[in-house]
Amino acid sequence: MKYARVGAVVAAAAIVVAACGGATGGAKPLKIGISLPLSGSSLASAGPADKGARLAIKDFTLPGYTITADVKDHAVNGVHDPQQGAKDMTAFAADPAIVGVVGPFNSSVAKVQIPISNEAGLLQCSPANTNPDLTKGDAGKQLRAKQPDKINYVRVATTDDIQGPAVAQYGFNKLGLKKVAIIDDTETYGKGIADAFAAEWTKLGGQVVGREGAPKGTTDYTAILTKFKDAAPDAVFYGGVTATGGGLVRKQMPQVGLDKIAYLGGDGIQDGPGSVEGSFINIAGAAAANSFSSVAAIAEYPGKADFDAKYKAAYNEEAGAYSASGYACAQILLQAIKTAASKGDVTRESVRAAGVDTNTTFETVLGPVKFDAVGDTNQKIISLYKTDLTAASGKGDWVFDSQVDYK
Amino acid sequence: MTALPATNDAGRPSVPAGRVVRLLVLLAILGGIAWLAVKNMGAEQATEQLFNALTRGAIYALIALGYTMVYGIIELINFAHGDMFMVGAFVSLTFLGQILGLEGAVTNIPLLIALLAATFLVTMAILALVGVTIERYAYKPLRNAPRLAPLITAIGVSFILQNLVQLVYGPYQTNSPKIFPDTWVIQVGSATVPVLSLFIIGVAVVLMIGLQLFIGRTRLGRAMRSTAADRDAAALMGVNINRTIAITFLIGSALAGAAGVVNGLQYGVARFDDGFQAGLKAFTAAVLGGIGNTVGAALGGFIIGFIEVGATAMGYTRWGPAIVFGVLVIVLVFRPAGLLGQQLGERA
Repeated sequence: MKYARVGAVVAAAAIVVAACGGATGGAKPLKIGISLPLSGSSLASAGPADKGARLAIKDFTLPGYTITADVKDHAVNGVHDPQQGAKDMTAFAADPAIVGVVGPFNSSVAKVQIPISNEAGLLQCSPANTNPDLTKGDAGKQLRAKQPDKINYVRVATTDDIQGPAVAQYGFNKLGLKKVAIIDDTETYGKGIADAFAAEWTKLGGQVVGREGAPKGTTDYTAILTKFKDAAPDAVFYGGVTATGGGLVRKQMPQVGLDKIAYLGGDGIQDGPGSVEGSFINIAGAAAANSFSSVAAIAEYPGKADFDAKYKAAYNEEAGAYSASGYACAQILLQAIKTAASKGDVTRESVRAAGVDTNTTFETVLGPVKFDAVGDTNQKIISLYKTDLTAASGKGDWVFDSQVDYK
Repeated sequence: MTALPATNDAGRPSVPAGRVVRLLVLLAILGGIAWLAVKNMGAEQATEQLFNALTRGAIYALIALGYTMVYGIIELINFAHGDMFMVGAFVSLTFLGQILGLEGAVTNIPLLIALLAATFLVTMAILALVGVTIERYAYKPLRNAPRLAPLITAIGVSFILQNLVQLVYGPYQTNSPKIFPDTWVIQVGSATVPVLSLFIIGVAVVLMIGLQLFIGRTRLGRAMRSTAADRDAAALMGVNINRTIAITFLIGSALAGAAGVVNGLQYGVARFDDGFQAGLKAFTAAVLGGIGNTVGAALGGFIIGFIEVGATAMGYTRWGPAIVFGVLVIVLVFRPAGLLGQQLGERA
């Protein structure tokens, strides 16, 4: 029975293909590569992006072409593996039917894939990379050294470097905070995000009443916090990650009488619910209340309800955090193919040129997307999360609060 | 190298006249710093920072004592001692959190006292055992080996302790139940001082006085002093050298355990690599005070606490470690044996 049905589908498909072939004189087969970590612990976050991308490819039709997905998993032992990612990208580059690639998921993989795809002139769209160095500045140029003037990597997630300013805008405009004390972990990420936050805060008219740095390994923050208390801040901003002190600072605030004020940070302190050993909420405990953190991703977009329903109908499961991003990436590649087809032959180069064109607006599930000169999206959206200590069955978790469209 | 305080024949600390003058100079300097602090940040913050510094200094001092005692008696820089402190923190959090199942503050005073007493006893006892075991199997076989051998062994022991703890508890911070309520504070003028700070300072002072009395007034203490002064002569006089050295490790490790307990109460977390930073600071404290001298180690611990907190209060947190080591260099230039260390002739 089951096989009979499959057989019927195949037969029907054959008839359709034959019919199309009859009409256009042979459909040209094209492939879109999907390069994501799809096994082990990576599957939970990257799997939905893969399913989203495949859904978009399935939904799309272009007369004269048959477009299929070619999925390669670069997780090794359940974790994304840059070396395997590089091998997969090399395989895609060697396959002439591949005209675009969705992926990767992790910035470390992108770092090794971009030079390969750049050399091959292959358009690549990442649903999740946020590291600014993949596109911007000298670091970005270095990745594109083979063909410097041929941008081939675009992404629908915004970059980490606007997290600090976005949190500042949120704290100042939405939370109504005026005086803030800042502490960082003196590392690249932590000091960077703290500096960007401070600059934006001052620009908005807020007051920075304290600024300190304490390196990883510091256990005692009471002296710094006592000093802050004197200036009566409305909030403390922490630049860094939980492991370098993000949880400890919050935990020690009640000891000096600073427990009532808000606590702000970037994605470095957003590391899961309180049940996760060593996470911010786990370390700070009851003191974690009234804390805010950011993620460089879009949580809400106009067509979300429709997309979620369509995804559920296709896979019989809820859409994940990156389902729509994967879908949007595939949409961008498909629109580039369509543009290329309308102008003549569909080649890697014509698809790449259409995909990175800075004047094109791509209609995606996340809304209209335009790319800048290095391939970064104009949707500079940062999502803000707030701690809810009653969530995750009383263990506490981060819950989505609102998103900031950074201008 | 003598260890342990200078004493006369009666076993009592002697006080040379020059030391009184030095003490007065020190007090004058401290007075000047206090006056500057109050003038710059107001009495309220100055008082609060004073207690922050004393609390931090007390923990450094407790760890520094173990370094200095071991160095005093066998001239070994026991690099694993900082990790003993870390192990103490984990023993205490395991006892309170996993065995007793506590999570938050205990406000019932008699219960709290009983819990604290039990935690200190259990942790110090286990640490004493661990310390003696390490001495027996890692250092004792190397007692007559070239001096580099036990030093490298100490580094190895440090790695073993760190990795064992990481294996059991993972590479992240682990919560230690803060059974001492944060909300208990007393008002000193306009300043708010946590009772926990007073408790930690009190514990440290009591342990230090106890140690001084033990070294100065008991037979075992005298055995320790004589072993430190001249091991061969002490052996000829009937001192059981092996037992004396074991007891030194026992006491030093127990004090590190106590430091681990107060660290858990104060900061509420522990991680497998906590011993590195703390050990470095405490070792600096021991050198600053004059390594081998127990009063010097305690003094050095408090001085480093004051320098670090002072740097933060003045807005130079990033410079804290640099100032600490700067002071160390200056002290060693003028007093190569440390603040209270004694100048001795050539020693191998």
